[in-house]
Amino acid sequence: MWDGIFTGLSTAVMPFNLMMVVVGCFAGTFIGMLPGLGPISAVALMIPITYGLDPASGIILMAGVYYGAVFGGSTSSILVNAPGCASTVVTAFDGYPLAQQKQAGKALALAAYSSFTGGTVGAIILLFAAPALASVSLSFQSSDYFALMILGLTAVAAFSGKGQVLKALLMTVFGLMIATVGTDLTSGTTRFTFGSVDLIDGVSFLLLAMATFALTEVVMTVLKGQHREEEPDMDMASLGSMKLSREEVEEVAPTIARSSVFGFIIGVLPGAGATIASFLAYGLERNLASAKEKLKFGKGALRGLAAPESANNAASTGSFVPLLTLGIPGSGTTAIMLGALIAYGIQPGPRLFMDNPDVFWSVIISMYFGNLVLLILNLPLIPYISRLLVIPRPILIPLILFFSITGVYLVSFNSFDIHMMVLITVVAIFLKLLEFPMAPMLLGFILGGIMEKNLSRALTMTDGSFSFLWDRPLTLCITLIAVLVLLLPLASAWYRRSLTPGAEAAVKEGEG
Amino acid sequence: MTLTKDHIGGLVFLCLSVAYGYYAGQIPLLPGDEFEPFHARTVPNTLALLGGALSLALLVTASRAREDRLSLRGYDFGLVGWLLALTVLFALALTWLGFLLSTILFLLGGYWLLGVRRVKTLLLASVPFAVGLWLILSQLLEIYLAPGRLFSAWWGG
Repeated sequence: MWDGIFTGLSTAVMPFNLMMVVVGCFAGTFIGMLPGLGPISAVALMIPITYGLDPASGIILMAGVYYGAVFGGSTSSILVNAPGCASTVVTAFDGYPLAQQKQAGKALALAAYSSFTGGTVGAIILLFAAPALASVSLSFQSSDYFALMILGLTAVAAFSGKGQVLKALLMTVFGLMIATVGTDLTSGTTRFTFGSVDLIDGVSFLLLAMATFALTEVVMTVLKGQHREEEPDMDMASLGSMKLSREEVEEVAPTIARSSVFGFIIGVLPGAGATIASFLAYGLERNLASAKEKLKFGKGALRGLAAPESANNAASTGSFVPLLTLGIPGSGTTAIMLGALIAYGIQPGPRLFMDNPDVFWSVIISMYFGNLVLLILNLPLIPYISRLLVIPRPILIPLILFFSITGVYLVSFNSFDIHMMVLITVVAIFLKLLEFPMAPMLLGFILGGIMEKNLSRALTMTDGSFSFLWDRPLTLCITLIAVLVLLLPLASAWYRRSLTPGAEAAVKEGEG
Repeated sequence: MTLTKDHIGGLVFLCLSVAYGYYAGQIPLLPGDEFEPFHARTVPNTLALLGGALSLALLVTASRAREDRLSLRGYDFGLVGWLLALTVLFALALTWLGFLLSTILFLLGGYWLLGVRRVKTLLLASVPFAVGLWLILSQLLEIYLAPGRLFSAWWGG
């Protein structure tokens, strides 16, 4: 393991890779601050840039952007009560009241310290957990992989749809359907190309990710009329001191420690991600607080700000565990990173640890550097970075639109791709209006090809029998977990519906 | 009967699954493939069935609450339509006018659609940006950007 850490360290400290971390953190912070654009859009916008880099540098840049975007989201939550992404919604609960009390500087500093600790604790656990899990998963066979992918897809569907499991499952199937367009790699026949030469290679991952997460998000801000909103008026002089007193540090230290470990565990679960971690950590901290302290929550409680900030950063790190060790992303953002790794010709999963130790370890090491950059460079520069938000939206929106389109065009030089992006954007807007989540679709698309390959191998080995799902205890175990993950939310939804309205209200009250 | 978002979504996916299933049946198979445990139609057929079953389940369990109806009020579809049309035109212009001119026109059009009317702002936010990006791409990164068919025809390139 120490050899690996040394390899990762030597790759991560290369001047170019260090520059990628810094650039990624800055770009991510800026994009994350923009309302409507979260980490997924920020990472998607970076894909075309990473195509020109070597795999380690590309993934380091993306990881930096991911952290930066989460941090940027927190900044706009605290300063203007406009969370840049879902995982920083909770940050605004106590961060914005602090800013209103002229303590924005303290809130930003506490958010940065909490994020740093959360990310660092996450990176340290990842350092030990990832290789251990990777070495166990080396014994996996194609049937186990197939079951694992089913588990990944069902878990993401079960957690990502705000209780709307069926919609999320349908989107997963939709993503799997899009993955079947193009030439079938096992037989060489073309599928669903309708005679178009442009579709023979299938739909490109870059195109789908940019259309559904960058282009659609920008167009949605126009659709909702958000481009007409006034640019936030931030009075930098009123940020106040960024220093925390000794008593305040003593008050939040146990919260940060608890929430970091808790956030990491939630982040490891496929599909759970930073948003759920931040909400749960806030709830946990509120429940642990004394009756007197409970009253402060929502009015500028330091613990209420520290808990979600540590948890969401630790969860962001945790979501790399299933990506790096099993090849199954834990969130929408890591799903995009998985697609980028596959585009590099790298197969994430247990073999990544053996075949590309430089990528595996440098990502883990650079996560730590990313947290350090956010703390040392970004925090003091926040007043200046947030000035970029003053750029009028009517100027900013066409520019982001332009970057999304040309990002795809400059890779393929085929204007058909732009038409395809517009078509996908129209479909995505329609589905968003019907409240269908996008992340399961992208995950289904990315895992579709690998899943078909593993199913083909497993079925050929068992001569067409599905007994491979229960022949090996490991496969059976993973399949059963997948079934359980799928049935639990469905059963709970059915249970809620079967309750009378009065009883349902009582259940909700009991939960709150 | 109230037609909610769930109903519309369920119907759309049901139609999609039926159409997908139909075209899955049209995928050409290699001789003898029908006796193989796995072929090019296996996954598409399964997905069509799964999609159909899930759509039906969504239709059956759909919310019937009035607040879950699809409301299109308050959305600026006109402006989005113009922006997407501008994007399609940008794709066409890239082929005929080349990268530099298309970028300037796209940005000018985008700013104009979103309400920027000052000529100075329009030009300053588009021309220097487009020229700068073109120089970086073509001169610094040495990426070949085709000049556009119109200019190639004009100069006989």
